[in-house]
Amino acid sequence: MKYTSRREFIKHVGIGAAAVPLLGGLPSLATAAQAARRKQRLVIVFSPNGVVPKTFWPDAVGSPVAFKESLKPLEPFRDQTLILRGLSQHVRGDGDNHMRGIGCLLTGIELFPGNIQGGSDTPAGWASGISIDQEIRNFLQKDAASRTRFGSLEFGVLVPDHANTWTRMVYTGANKPVEAISDPYRMFGRLYGQLDDQDSLKSILDDLREDLARVRKEISVADRKLLDEHTALVREMEKELAQARTADVGHAVPKLEAGVRQENDNMVKLSKLQIDLMVSAFLTDACRVATLQYTNSVGQARFTWLGIGEGHHDLSHEPDTNEAAQQKLTKINHWYAQQIAYLAQRLADTPEPGGKGSMLDNTLIVWTNELGQGNNHTLNNIPFVLLGGGAGFKMGRYVNYENVAHNRFLMALAHAYGHRVRTFGNPDVCGAGPLSLS
Amino acid sequence: MKKRPFAYRAPGWLGWALLYVIVPAGTLVLASLAGGQATPKGKPANKAKAAPPAATGKALFAKSCASCHGTEGKGGPAYAKPLRGTKSVTQLATYIHQAMPPPGKRTPTKESQLIAAYMHETFYSPIAEERRRAARVELARLTARQYRNAVSDLIDEGKPPLAESKEQGLEGKYLTGSNIWEDKNKVFERIDPGIAFDFGTQAPGKEKFDSNEFVIRWDGSVIAPDTGEYEFIVHTDHAIKLWVNDLQRPLIDRWVKSGNETEYKGTVRLVGGRPYPLWLHFAKAQQGVDDQKKKRPDVPAFVRLEWRRPGRGAEVIPGHLLRPKQAPSRYTVLAPLPADDRSMGFERGAGVSKAWSEATTAGAIEAARYLTANGAAATGVPENAPDRAEKLKAYAASFTERAFRRPLDPVTRRIYVDAHFAAAKDPVEALKRSVILTLKSPRFLYRELGGPNDPYRVAAELSFSLWDSLPDAALREAAAKGELATAEGRERHARRMSEDPRAAHKLKEFLITWMKADSPAEPSKSAKVFPDFSPAVMEDLRTSFELSLDQAVHSPEADLRQLFLDRRLFLNERLGKLYGYPVKGTGFQPVQATDGRRWGVLTHPYLMTRLAYIETTSPIHRGVMLTRNILGRPLMPPPMAFTPLAPSLHPSLTTRERVTMQTKPPACMGCHVVINPLGFALENYDAIGRFRTQEKGKPVNAAGSYQEKGGRKVAFSGAGDLARYLAASPDTRSAFTQHLFQFMTKQGAPAYGADTVPRLAKDFEMNRWNMRHLMVKVAVTAASAPTP
Repeated sequence: MKYTSRREFIKHVGIGAAAVPLLGGLPSLATAAQAARRKQRLVIVFSPNGVVPKTFWPDAVGSPVAFKESLKPLEPFRDQTLILRGLSQHVRGDGDNHMRGIGCLLTGIELFPGNIQGGSDTPAGWASGISIDQEIRNFLQKDAASRTRFGSLEFGVLVPDHANTWTRMVYTGANKPVEAISDPYRMFGRLYGQLDDQDSLKSILDDLREDLARVRKEISVADRKLLDEHTALVREMEKELAQARTADVGHAVPKLEAGVRQENDNMVKLSKLQIDLMVSAFLTDACRVATLQYTNSVGQARFTWLGIGEGHHDLSHEPDTNEAAQQKLTKINHWYAQQIAYLAQRLADTPEPGGKGSMLDNTLIVWTNELGQGNNHTLNNIPFVLLGGGAGFKMGRYVNYENVAHNRFLMALAHAYGHRVRTFGNPDVCGAGPLSLS
Repeated sequence: MKKRPFAYRAPGWLGWALLYVIVPAGTLVLASLAGGQATPKGKPANKAKAAPPAATGKALFAKSCASCHGTEGKGGPAYAKPLRGTKSVTQLATYIHQAMPPPGKRTPTKESQLIAAYMHETFYSPIAEERRRAARVELARLTARQYRNAVSDLIDEGKPPLAESKEQGLEGKYLTGSNIWEDKNKVFERIDPGIAFDFGTQAPGKEKFDSNEFVIRWDGSVIAPDTGEYEFIVHTDHAIKLWVNDLQRPLIDRWVKSGNETEYKGTVRLVGGRPYPLWLHFAKAQQGVDDQKKKRPDVPAFVRLEWRRPGRGAEVIPGHLLRPKQAPSRYTVLAPLPADDRSMGFERGAGVSKAWSEATTAGAIEAARYLTANGAAATGVPENAPDRAEKLKAYAASFTERAFRRPLDPVTRRIYVDAHFAAAKDPVEALKRSVILTLKSPRFLYRELGGPNDPYRVAAELSFSLWDSLPDAALREAAAKGELATAEGRERHARRMSEDPRAAHKLKEFLITWMKADSPAEPSKSAKVFPDFSPAVMEDLRTSFELSLDQAVHSPEADLRQLFLDRRLFLNERLGKLYGYPVKGTGFQPVQATDGRRWGVLTHPYLMTRLAYIETTSPIHRGVMLTRNILGRPLMPPPMAFTPLAPSLHPSLTTRERVTMQTKPPACMGCHVVINPLGFALENYDAIGRFRTQEKGKPVNAAGSYQEKGGRKVAFSGAGDLARYLAASPDTRSAFTQHLFQFMTKQGAPAYGADTVPRLAKDFEMNRWNMRHLMVKVAVTAASAPTP
């Protein structure tokens, strides 16, 4: 049964008293006048199990960046890319590094003690604070000029269907993890479900009117008043549906390939479906913040289409001396970089609706990971690869910070979207404040 | 459970005088057996004013006018046109005086006035016409309650109901280790009457297992006592997961224990009177990577499963609403339906609004989405069936047929089913459209449109009267076979249906309404005066009250008089302590109040507490409930708003004295002459329903009285007399019958003929006040009546 999707339907589509059968929410709520300020979007992409430093980090800081094997697919976006090294998790506390790696990645704050025992360290629960994407989302939602229908959307690709510290990255607050939606059809339903319903509804109106006229003849004159009122309400619904159509989304609803199941070997297809849906959501300004989580911390995807049969996490434990494993891990990160490139390309190819340049010019993609390196589980040198013009950062370069708390980067993100936080996450590791990236 | 025999349930009907003579404790005085109109001082005058002219005018009209104009001016042989118009009484009187009877004669002025007044009041004027129009079975839409039930039953067609079982509580499986599904680790299983455990640092039960690593699986069902949003609350210091109704997705998932939170909540909408599957999983164990070698410190553990029913406070889910067997999941409508009109004193489907239209649209879309998204589980048609389109079409036709409560004629079938399967490329989309159209159709949304001899209308009248929902398969079959053509056939089916839990639920809902216990707002009480009273006590009282109603509803006799006479109370330890009846054992236990201080639900502390102020009783609230609801006497609202006199202003007066003082003016006494003496009879129950004999150092005066509709006056000295009177009163029978009729049919009883209520009330009396029997009779009466 899909009660949950019905619950979601009510919650997100707002099919309550006010919204039915209207779609009021589909176009941006911002008026033309307010749209004068440029849109700023943020996409955070997660892939697990660390990177292979020697094939990931460029050899020299500064610009132009010389991309190595892992990041090669980003070469076409050389001038729009900013690679940050030396950002480290200074947050400590309960939980093993994989748990803290994902749980504190966007929250910058400790995990609660709990009942989830990792491979080492003490058991832990959920993160004790909000994640930066949600912080920025809430900030944007507060202002009518940047408010959107959803605020944020949380996409996933093959995120396992059980909730624990390793599978959750986004938090709306302490102990409030958010599930990433891995099923593109479910995401489609959230985005476009009501359009379908509208079409169904419109298709039955003539029949309904026809039968109302038949029923009218069957009942006594005294009772017709009630039925006439009913008929008037049907007519009103019809008018509203017609109006909703004129205020339509302005672009074709994406056609999804049908029947792609949640299976390891469909990862390539699922990734593309989710990225396409994300771009569609941006086109209708359904949200300004999105996350895309590939599998989970300690994710065990098997990249069979790359000729890799082992699980990703198992592979990441192999020592540096296992050259075959290093090559496979490099291939995996190369594949992830291709996904980032595909997203960037889609955005670059799409002119900003009602604005200047391309959508990529107004979007910042942040690609990150729960670990710096898989085989030593380090929380130092967490990769942050940035792409696009959304934050106004100075792009086209490679910076190495040498062990700076990643909270300062999270703060820099908030500031870039106009949200001038004084600290974020655990204040004790916010040090000298936001990194200066512009 | 054995029922107490009552003196006046002796064979046959006993007269009043005899009745009260044989009651040993009876102190009732039959003040007036003459039956005449011994009008006391201050009796409302308006009744007397209106009646005589109408009566005389009626006689005059019958004598002088009806031969030409027909009875009530409907038209006769000499003058066929009905007498309807807009003249005032005076204008009409003048006209009659001058022009009637033709030719050229005159009616005397005085008589003309009487005839005009009668005509105007009874049938002539637009107002009279309107008044008469009300006494007709009107086209009505489904009420919100009916809509929710009907959509659920439509979608859940064929799901087996949960058989009523005596076993209460949830089944608990207790396992060692951390794996909730590892049955080989099971140490024991048992039925737990409720979930409220504090294990401390021990393992549950006596059996040996690691007190720091165990898991518990509770399975079963929960019965929703009313319709609305339920908040389930789990209190625990460990990990839990809770499922309610939807077993695919947990309502609360706290399998990850995180931080110091110990309270978790989830909200779900449920329909009253139906069982829903419920699982609760509890783990005092770590998840994730196994590290058995580590020594863990001893930590305590507790778990408590509570809920907040719609509009109510939190309580541990009481055992009598839990079952160890698992019911099937049910479809529930989430769309927010606007509240129904209750201006006539009962819920009815009068009028349509934009909010209603939008809610039914949302409801239709929701249902269509559910059916199309859940595939075979919902429609029984597998996705890979070779003849899927045909099967889905057959499903759509059956859905529409059940929704419309009748077979589809070819045109209706074309409009609602065939056309969509012909037009849409995808049969799933066709099903969606067909379902949306069906659920937006007046044939679904409105009560029956067929003629009086239509067996399908009869079937629907029976099922909506008894269940507030659609006919079931057996009833549809009976209609098709012509079994409902005879009165016997109707009654046989009504009787079968009256045994269904849905009928019992409807009766209970009715009793709650009748006793005015249906408003959710629960009173708070002064902590200074009642230090032992708390919100938890209030929830206990409600449970206790409902258990008493269950007792009456489910007993084989279903005798209304039990509600006034049963000395049994259902109390738990907390209530037992507060009300002075020691209770042994856990949960709610029946307690016989042998002290003569408890009289059925009439004096139930829950009702007494509701019908009282925070510190003092309210004889007026109690009296109004008795007058209007139990005895069925209409009361006008007070001529102006009054604030009750503050007790502190008159510290020496008892409540009775204060109320008497404030309602002394003649303008008040018109109604309070009836209200106060009824309310005063309950003065032995304080503001939280405890029995008292003293107030402010004075003995409580619980003397009261009542004058019946028939004119007979009775006096009581306290609740016992009042209870015995109510359990024998013709006014109680008639009020109960009329209210029940209206609650069941959602139509005004007069629309079914002036003699309907008296006839049913008489039958009710002859059948030992059996409420279920009366329900059957009401349903059959409604089903046999002509339609709009």
